Amino acid sequence: MQPVHDLFFWVSELPTSIAIRESLLFSPYLTVAHVVSMCLFAGLIVMMDLRLLGIGNMSTPFSELQKRLFPWQMLGMAMSAVTGLTLAYSDPMRFYVNIFFWTKMLVMVLAGINAMAFHFITYNSVLTWDTRASTPFGAKLSGALGMLLWAIVIVSGRLIPYNWFQN
Amino acid sequence: MLEGFFEQMGQWPVSQAIGASIWIYPTIQAIHLVFLALFAGGMMITDLRLLGFGMLSKPVAQVARDARPWVVIGFLGLVATGLPQLMQNASREYFSEFFWYKMYLIAFGLIFLLTVRRKMIQATETSAASKVVGLISMAVWTGVTINARLIGLFT
Repeated sequence: MQPVHDLFFWVSELPTSIAIRESLLFSPYLTVAHVVSMCLFAGLIVMMDLRLLGIGNMSTPFSELQKRLFPWQMLGMAMSAVTGLTLAYSDPMRFYVNIFFWTKMLVMVLAGINAMAFHFITYNSVLTWDTRASTPFGAKLSGALGMLLWAIVIVSGRLIPYNWFQN
Repeated sequence: MLEGFFEQMGQWPVSQAIGASIWIYPTIQAIHLVFLALFAGGMMITDLRLLGFGMLSKPVAQVARDARPWVVIGFLGLVATGLPQLMQNASREYFSEFFWYKMYLIAFGLIFLLTVRRKMIQATETSAASKVVGLISMAVWTGVTINARLIGLFT
């Protein structure tokens, strides 16, 4: 992947990238902020996924839960993205060779596709199952996939420091 | 006294076994974070409601009741994946100030959860008092998370 390599390498040579990389405290605190943002984002995503599975938060109609949690999920996502992108920006060559980093990126794309598929297909029929005790198959599938994929994102993110697969 | 206990804990066969494997400890760390997301989600959905955000059409008590099983499962999962990490790292964690900050905050957070917050989440509506309780709860558990991450980074 020469173009990706070149892009990552180019970023790694930028003065701001070098400055963050060389500061002792900046990236630890970014990591801390990334974990706190993750709690906001993944925590409220999992609450919604449990509702989709039909096993959690069942006394609230799905559409209401979705609408009320959405702004907080987006805030969590924005904070995770800013802190995560800054971390990647500060040391791109470390991530370029890391299998867990690329696993995380790939699975995030899959989680995004799952969310879009839910939004454009299953969510259209929400009024027919919004308050029912059980959710339809499509909703359960989205919920289960969402939980599984975001769990993989969290796990592979945490494993990035362990580069077992590099020489 | 405690120092001796921590030192001993690091010598337990199971602690040694965790340390001897290259993948057990990282895997436990990663699963710890998955349980953290579950715990944080259950806590936040309730704390946001106490603060007057989130699912306002439902009474505080209802949101809290729905969230409770996930808070409990999340917390038990955190303990189950946290203890092996402590055992493997016992003597280093003993000398980490962040480890102790985390423990004090967890102790405070749990007492707060089982007393003041427990009372507050029986309410129907948001009040000035419930906002203070929601804010304290969020701040304490965020503090736990911050110190927890700092153990790993600065120990």
